[in-house]
Amino acid sequence: MNVQATLTNAGIDPIMMEIIAHRVCAIPNLIDKNIARTAFSPLVAEYKDYAVGMVDAEGRLITQSRGGIPVFCANALSVGVRDGLKIYGKSNLQHGDVVITNDAATMGQHLNNVLMYTPIRTSEEDSGLLGFMAAVVHWVDVGGITIGSCLSSETTDVFQEGVQFHTVKVHSRGEPVEEIFRIIRSNTRFPELLMGDFDSQIAGCLMGRDMTLEIIERHGMEQVQRAIEHFWNQSEAKVRESIRAIPAGTYRASSFLDDDGVNKDKTIPVEVAVHVRDDDLTIDLSGLGKQVDGPMNAGYEGGAVAAARIACKYFFASDESANEGASRPIEVHCPPGTFLSAKPGAPLSGSGNMLPTVVDTILRALGSADPARAQAAHHGTYSIHVLSGHTYAGDLFYHLESTIGGWGAAHNRDGTGPFRSIVHGDTLEVPAELQEASNPYLLEWVRLRQDSGGAGKYRGGLGVEKCYRIVNPVDLTVIIERTKCAPWGLDGGGDGSTGRVEVHRDGGGEPEIIHKGTASLAAGDRIIVFSPGGGGFGSPGLRPPEQIEKDLSRGYISGAAAKADYGLQDAGQQDTGNERTP
Amino acid sequence: MSLFVGTDIGGTFTDVVGYDSSAGKLTFGKKLTNRSDLVEGVMSCLDEVALPLAAIDTLKHGTTQVINTLVERSGARTALVTTAGFRDIVEIGRAGRPIAFDLNYTREAPLVERELCIELAERINAQGEVVTPIAADDLDRLVARLTELDVEAVAVSFLNAYLNPVHEIAVTELLRERMPHAYVTAASELSREWFEYERTSTAVANAYVGPKTKGYVKRFDNKLSEAAFPGLFYMMGSNGGVLPVKRTMEQPIALVESGPIGGCVGAAVYANHLGLERLIAFDMGGTTAKCALVEGGLSEVQNTYYVGGYDRGIPLRTPVLDIVEVGTGGGSIAYVEGARLHVGPISAGSDPGPGCFGRGGEKPTVTDTNLILGRIGGARFLNGQLPLDIAAANDAIAGEICRPLGYTAEADTDRVANGVLTLANAQMATAIKEITIERGRDVREFALFVFGGGGPLHGVELARELGIPQVIVPPEPGNFSALGMLFADARVDEVQSFRLDVEDLSASALQAQIRDLKARAEQTLQDDFAATSVTFEHQAEMRFRGQRHSLRVVFAPDDDGAKLRRNFFAEYLRKYGHVDEHNPVEIIGVRVAGFAATYTPDIATVKQMPAAQSVDPREIRGVFFANAETRVSTSVFEREKLPVGFEADGPAIVEEFGSTTVVGPGDHLRVGELGEMTIDVASAS
Repeated sequence: MNVQATLTNAGIDPIMMEIIAHRVCAIPNLIDKNIARTAFSPLVAEYKDYAVGMVDAEGRLITQSRGGIPVFCANALSVGVRDGLKIYGKSNLQHGDVVITNDAATMGQHLNNVLMYTPIRTSEEDSGLLGFMAAVVHWVDVGGITIGSCLSSETTDVFQEGVQFHTVKVHSRGEPVEEIFRIIRSNTRFPELLMGDFDSQIAGCLMGRDMTLEIIERHGMEQVQRAIEHFWNQSEAKVRESIRAIPAGTYRASSFLDDDGVNKDKTIPVEVAVHVRDDDLTIDLSGLGKQVDGPMNAGYEGGAVAAARIACKYFFASDESANEGASRPIEVHCPPGTFLSAKPGAPLSGSGNMLPTVVDTILRALGSADPARAQAAHHGTYSIHVLSGHTYAGDLFYHLESTIGGWGAAHNRDGTGPFRSIVHGDTLEVPAELQEASNPYLLEWVRLRQDSGGAGKYRGGLGVEKCYRIVNPVDLTVIIERTKCAPWGLDGGGDGSTGRVEVHRDGGGEPEIIHKGTASLAAGDRIIVFSPGGGGFGSPGLRPPEQIEKDLSRGYISGAAAKADYGLQDAGQQDTGNERTP
Repeated sequence: MSLFVGTDIGGTFTDVVGYDSSAGKLTFGKKLTNRSDLVEGVMSCLDEVALPLAAIDTLKHGTTQVINTLVERSGARTALVTTAGFRDIVEIGRAGRPIAFDLNYTREAPLVERELCIELAERINAQGEVVTPIAADDLDRLVARLTELDVEAVAVSFLNAYLNPVHEIAVTELLRERMPHAYVTAASELSREWFEYERTSTAVANAYVGPKTKGYVKRFDNKLSEAAFPGLFYMMGSNGGVLPVKRTMEQPIALVESGPIGGCVGAAVYANHLGLERLIAFDMGGTTAKCALVEGGLSEVQNTYYVGGYDRGIPLRTPVLDIVEVGTGGGSIAYVEGARLHVGPISAGSDPGPGCFGRGGEKPTVTDTNLILGRIGGARFLNGQLPLDIAAANDAIAGEICRPLGYTAEADTDRVANGVLTLANAQMATAIKEITIERGRDVREFALFVFGGGGPLHGVELARELGIPQVIVPPEPGNFSALGMLFADARVDEVQSFRLDVEDLSASALQAQIRDLKARAEQTLQDDFAATSVTFEHQAEMRFRGQRHSLRVVFAPDDDGAKLRRNFFAEYLRKYGHVDEHNPVEIIGVRVAGFAATYTPDIATVKQMPAAQSVDPREIRGVFFANAETRVSTSVFEREKLPVGFEADGPAIVEEFGSTTVVGPGDHLRVGELGEMTIDVASAS
């Protein structure tokens, strides 16, 4: 393509386009910072369970912030706004209107994810509408049968999971709609916390709108729209170029999930096909298991499309912000009725839990097309465990952990981590000292889990072990996955170890093992969480002996594993750091 | 006291500033940094400007030695002793992935390898009580093991030691006695804040740089003794205060941002004298652009500083003024990808440097665009020491940017160069805006205080982009970090995490809680500086009980719990827009900063001003301005000829050694009492 001629003919000044695009695309990142700063609940401020972006007048994603967690990189913003355009029409979305939606049938993710948006317009005419400033934020609680709305593993329809706001104005032409505020407040367990986050979300939308209006005033609507189109085209071209680098063909991969939380002995298949053409592709998810009875479902947009786009962003365009152009070359095929394209009414409070495995399976299929970009499996699970009860001071506490584990090795390096799952981002571990200061337990150890990384020329990253010793009674809720399908190795590399949660009672005896369920714990009891390691890459026999020696002396592998996995006969120099047991 | 000298080692240049207060004379020196021997580099720089050590009364020194050791990984073989069960504390870290979509993302490797991380059975709980005492046998084994491992430095860090350091003290004392050649650090000597990973990481870094820094400071000190240096010698600390030699040997990590801090200190002094409540100190050099907020004459201290940046770097809990990188400086390379223009973050640095340096750099940089557009005078760059090659700059822009983007006419070069410059400015402006938003500030309420070689060159365009009405250029912007250092006083930060309900808290009970902190700070200042008068600033870290994040609230010695609550609510309201005053509030920690004056020059005399006279421009040249969209005839002045009270309407250029100030059409320049230039900036569009 002759870039030069195309641009000149279109009368476009590419440098000006770049400057305007920079100014526009900076806005969601600025608003992102503002929401992180002003949000109330740790889920927003620290877990970063939100995303900010801009959508055009047709509902196409202009750009999205880089700060939120990857699970939002798909089209939550577009989907919600399109629904609003259908319901209201452009002319009924005026300056000062603010709309929210978490409608399960539209959004397809757990009801906590509430999208809010406000029009960016210069006049009341349709032509005066540039688009919408939008932010999707995980609301701390929207009712339903469990505290926090999304942590039961046993709901059987969406109505047990909270309240739905299907495209509702919370502000109308700048005036708050008091009725809807009353409804929101009476449908959450934490009205103060939620309204704090709500204010932060609304302030972010309005601030972003005003910043965009300043840019329109400076450059004119037409120039801004051109710059956006230019930005999309460039982004699209980059993704197409990246797709073109892998050979056309169909690539398949499969894995499976443990269960849906209700039918605990029934595994769920994950079959993925990727059809790569010249410079575009189709992610075919029709081989996913059927919609399940328990809450491990998501709708088409929040499930299938989200998984496909997350995987493609990792593989093809990791440094492009999510936008309309970047997703043009990616088609998603997934008929209704799978666990990622569940029908309206299906329970979906655990809508995120399957994504790490599905994303990883898509990456496995793509990796088979281009080994230089392939990565063995990561631990692949949120591994949620929640401790709740009373603090030393007698207040209620509720501590949610999603576990860090090993990531997969690649053709030129060992596995990384421990990190959270592939659909998490910059979510930080809570310091032991912070937990112990209020919560009635001690952390006896937090350490790398020896031998958990898959063996290989390049070894998988290690999982971790965490041991909690209970001081005053607490309740434990566990939702972990991938205890049956180990994180796979590639090209002859070994699998990572699977994870588990053990409860050791104070009196001794065999530990109870919990995957999805609850337990009540008394003083002196211990919980030990073992997170999975990542898969290895390449045959273990090809690992240089000095690397094996180093793994041994660092205690990443045991002498027994050095012998069994790598055939090392003389495992003399051994590390003794990981021998402690309760 | 009459001769004050500041020396600052930067990435590219080593600077010296001398001020003789009796003669009212400023002296400057600038030499390429001698990376193989930093101490020698400073000495030869002093030599060159004829500032004999024997005549200097106060010498203040900022160095990149500590940060270099960390970045180049050239520190000591270091071991870490942890609480049993927590050996992997620095390897696991906090497990975030700031670059979320990079499958190959890793953090920088820890400074201590896993085989050198050793566990000791001991435990203190979150109430500060000893749960598991240390067994004597274990200690013997520990010493034997460390000796066998042949380490040069040891960091000791235990869980909850921020509350009760008794075990850390016991182990540290023993190791110092039994391993006299090893450099031993306890985490609680550096930080008494909770968050075990950050505190441990700080201890490891301190131990890692310890032996080398000790050697460096000793060598510097020896050089001074040899030269019969009669005066006071201080190192520039990252918190904006100076430190004596002895303390830098114990806490070398306090020097981690020793170099760039001087500019920030200087900006605060000018802010006070000019009565500017809020300013952004913007420092742009060849390889980086940095900024810091100065409010009420002070900069905040960062909660956690990251060596190598937040995305992959190593956290430190040592007081560092809140300076943030916002760009890659004049050497930022522009390139085209597809039909897209990018500027930075790759920098040509000083070697080979921008195309116009004529040292083999072929990639166009921001400095090249400044030259092409007539904003810098090529012949007089650094007073002609480094003549710039405009043809090389033109070639670089034409070949790398114009051609691939389809700009073929000769006249397009200006437009393209201006586009590159505008994009670079827009990117820096975005980064500055992000920083103000993160800190809950409105950037438009600040003045922009610019220094470094590139600060005054970009000041008005940045201000226009940000909606800032006023730009201030201090005297000697090109040497401002070293100049600012002359004004640095002594400062000691003491921080302690503890939990305290504020309900019914009396002023005396609160003071009792922090008595030890203040006594420690005061003692240090008395020991180090023979300080007779110490002033304090108090900040409480406060939150609603049960909420995880907290706010810093300033308080006075006679404030009680009720007053703190009110202050907290006010701060909360400012940050969040509303506040529920029914919820219980608690303090989770206190920061006390103790200040003591050192000998510093009088700012009003630190300028070299000519007598009032009429000033003719040195030349008139065509300069391209973004807001004029064309070349405009522009008067070029020499700064040293501009008297106090001088005024000019833009466009204008002011040249001096080490920097060039650009004043755009519509802007207005005037020279103030302290020799500073203030530019009123015309708004955009």
